[in-house]
Amino acid sequence: MSTPTAVITGVGLVIPGLRGIDDLLEPPPEDPCGFDPTVELSGRSMRHKDPASRLALRAAGPALHDAGLLSDPLPGVKNRLAAALGQRVAVVVSTNFANLEKTCEFTEIIDQETVTGLSPARMPHTSNVTACWVAIEYGLCGPNITLCNGTTSGLDAVFWARNLVAVRRVDIAVVIGVEPDTMPVARLHRESGGESWLDGAVAVIVESSQHAGRRGAISRAVVGGYGRAADRAIAVAQTRADLQLVDLYLATQHRGVDGVEGSASNGVLTLDLTARFGRCSGALGVLQCAAGVARLDRGDARAVLAIAGSAVGSCDDEGDPSGAAALLLERSAPAPRGSADDG
Amino acid sequence: MSWDITGIGAVACVGDNPYDIFDALCAGHSGLAPLRAFDPSKYRAWGAYEIDDRAVLGRDEPGRATRWLRVAVEQALADAGLDGASEIFPVLVGSMQRELRSAELWWRDNVPFELADLHFNATLHGEFGTTYGYTIASACAASLCALAMATDLIELELAETVVVAGTDSITESAFGGMDRIQNPTPKEVRPFDKARRGMLMGEGAVAVVLRRPDTHRGLAYAKVRGVSMNCDGLHPTAPDASSIARAIREAHQRGGVDAEDIDLVVAHGSGTQQNDAAEAFALVDVFARVAPPPLVTAIKCATGHTSGGSGLLSLVMAMLALRRGAVPPILGLTDPIEEIGNLRLVCGRPMVAEMATAQINAFGMGGINAVAVVEKVA
Repeated sequence: MSTPTAVITGVGLVIPGLRGIDDLLEPPPEDPCGFDPTVELSGRSMRHKDPASRLALRAAGPALHDAGLLSDPLPGVKNRLAAALGQRVAVVVSTNFANLEKTCEFTEIIDQETVTGLSPARMPHTSNVTACWVAIEYGLCGPNITLCNGTTSGLDAVFWARNLVAVRRVDIAVVIGVEPDTMPVARLHRESGGESWLDGAVAVIVESSQHAGRRGAISRAVVGGYGRAADRAIAVAQTRADLQLVDLYLATQHRGVDGVEGSASNGVLTLDLTARFGRCSGALGVLQCAAGVARLDRGDARAVLAIAGSAVGSCDDEGDPSGAAALLLERSAPAPRGSADDG
Repeated sequence: MSWDITGIGAVACVGDNPYDIFDALCAGHSGLAPLRAFDPSKYRAWGAYEIDDRAVLGRDEPGRATRWLRVAVEQALADAGLDGASEIFPVLVGSMQRELRSAELWWRDNVPFELADLHFNATLHGEFGTTYGYTIASACAASLCALAMATDLIELELAETVVVAGTDSITESAFGGMDRIQNPTPKEVRPFDKARRGMLMGEGAVAVVLRRPDTHRGLAYAKVRGVSMNCDGLHPTAPDASSIARAIREAHQRGGVDAEDIDLVVAHGSGTQQNDAAEAFALVDVFARVAPPPLVTAIKCATGHTSGGSGLLSLVMAMLALRRGAVPPILGLTDPIEEIGNLRLVCGRPMVAEMATAQINAFGMGGINAVAVVEKVA
C-alpha cells in the first residue's frame, strides 16, 4: 500500500476587510463586502467564547463548506458532519497567543479579588480551547492537536495534518491558523519591536487525494515537501523542491543574510503577507498556504513555496528567532474522477 | 509496526528521575504540600504537588517548565546512550501551559519575558541542537498525542529516532480556574474513590527516546504497540465515556492486541467526579467480558495532575511496572467507586504480578483522548 497523497480541498479565512483568498494575492478595492468582525463574530454560537475561538469557528465553517463537506458556511445548530465522517476528521490548530489574554486576565483578577472573582462560566481557557470549540461546533471527532511553537507553527500544522492523512489516521484534517489581537498580545509584540499584527484566522482542508476523488471534490493543491531547520536555506533544501518550477515564494522579507533571496528566487515573485497584515505568528504558515491555493487556483502556476521563520538567533520580523520552516504546494495533476491513485 | 523506547527521563515532586518516582509511588509517598508557588490567601485550595525549586522561598520565577524539560530530555538521551551523539533528533513536547507561567509573571510583575519564551524551541536548539522542535498543547493528553505523532513520523520514514517529552509548571490562571469550579475544594487527589473531590495540579517533566526497532542495538524498555487519538466533540469540560471507549478500542486495534491481552491499565485517574466515572464506564465497557480483568492503577494521587506531561509520565511508570513485575498502588484509595465494576484497582500496597502488556490513558480538557499500548520486551 503506498502512502496516501494529501491535497487541499477547501479554504476559508476571516481577516478584516478581506472577501476571500484572492484578496491575499492583491489587496481588494475599498469593499463594503469584506469581513467585518464587529458584525460577524456575534450570535449564539459565539457566546462565551474567546476571540481566537470565534475567529477560528468563522474560518473553519467556510473552509468545510468550500470543500463541499458542509452545506452551510456558518456555525449553526445543524451544521455538523455526520458521525461516521466526523470520526475521520482531525483538527490541527496553530496559534501562539489564543489564550494569552485569558491567562493574563485571570492572573490579574486573582490578584485583585482572589479566586472568587473569577467567573465559572468562562472556563476553560487552556491553550487548546480553540481546537476543541471547532471540534464541538462541526462534529470533528478525530485527533485534536494544537501546535504552539512560534512562527513556524502554521507550516508545521499543515505538515502534521499531512502526516495524519498519510498514515491513514484520518481522511481529512482541518488546519487552522489563528491569532487574536488582544492587549497582552499587543504588549508582547510592541516590546519586541512589532508595529502591527494580525487579528484573524484562516483554515485549510487537508484531505487524502483518494478520499477527495471518491467524493468528487476538487484538489486545489498537493501538499509537497517540508523542511525545518536552523536557517531558511536548509529548510528550503529539505523540501526537495525543484525551484525552477516555483512560480511564487511566500516568505517574509527579512533582514538577515540567509534565505532564498538571491540564491533561489531569481526574480520570481516573493509575496510577504506580513507586509500587509503585520506579524502573523502562528497563523502565518496557514495563511501562506491559503495564498498558495489562491495562486494555484489561477491555473498557470506549477508550484508555490512557503517559508516562515528565520535563522536561529537572527533578527526576525516576527520577533521569534527560533528557526525556519518551508513547505511546497504543487499544482494537482488532473485526475479522472473517482480514480484511486493510492489504494 | 512497533516502536522501541530506549531511554527515559523524568522529574516530579516525588522524585527527580524515573526510578525514584516509581519507588516513591510504590512506597506510597505523596508530593502534596501547602501551596508555595502563589499567595495562598488568594485561593481556596490549600495545596498542590509542586516542585519547590525556586531560588527564593515563596517567590515564583520564570522558566521552570523549560528547566525541567531540559533535565528530562538530558536524562532520556543519556539513558539511551545518545548523549553527545552527533545526530540531531526531532523533539515533540506536550505541554498544556507551555511557559504561560512566565507570561503571567511578565504581565503582572514585569518579569522579563519575550515572545519566543512561550515555546521551547530556543532551549531545545541551544541544548540539543534540535531543529525539528514542536510544542503540542493538546491539554492533558498532550504528551500522549506527541507520542502518537512521533510514531507516525517514524512510520512515514521521516525520522528513525524521536524524543517525546512533556512538561508543565503550575500557572495561577489554570490553578485558579480549577479552584473556582471545584466545590467543595479537594484536599488531595483520590482517583476512583467515592470520597474523591477533584483534581489538584502537579508539576514536572518527562521524556522518552522512541526508535525504529532496527536502528539500534541497545536494550529497549518496552515496545510501543500503538497510540490512538480522538476527540469527543461534544462538550468543553464534561468527558464522554463512549468516546473514551472508542479511543481505547482504537489503541488496541492499532497495537494488534485484544482486551484480553491487557494486563495493566494506568488510568488517567484525575480524581474528579466526572472523569473517574466516565473513565470507569469506558474501562468496564471494554473489559467487561475479560477474565481476569486487568489491574488498574493511577499516579496522580502521588504526583498531582502534571497536565501535559501526565500521560507520558504514566507510560514511563507503566514500563517500569512491567519490568519490575510490580504495580504501584492508588494512594488514598479506600472505598472504590461502583462504576469500576470488577476491574482490579490496586490499592494499599504494590501488587506483584507477571505482566506483558499495559494500556495508558490520558484525557484532556475539551474531550481530547489519547491511549497508548506498550509491551514488555522479553
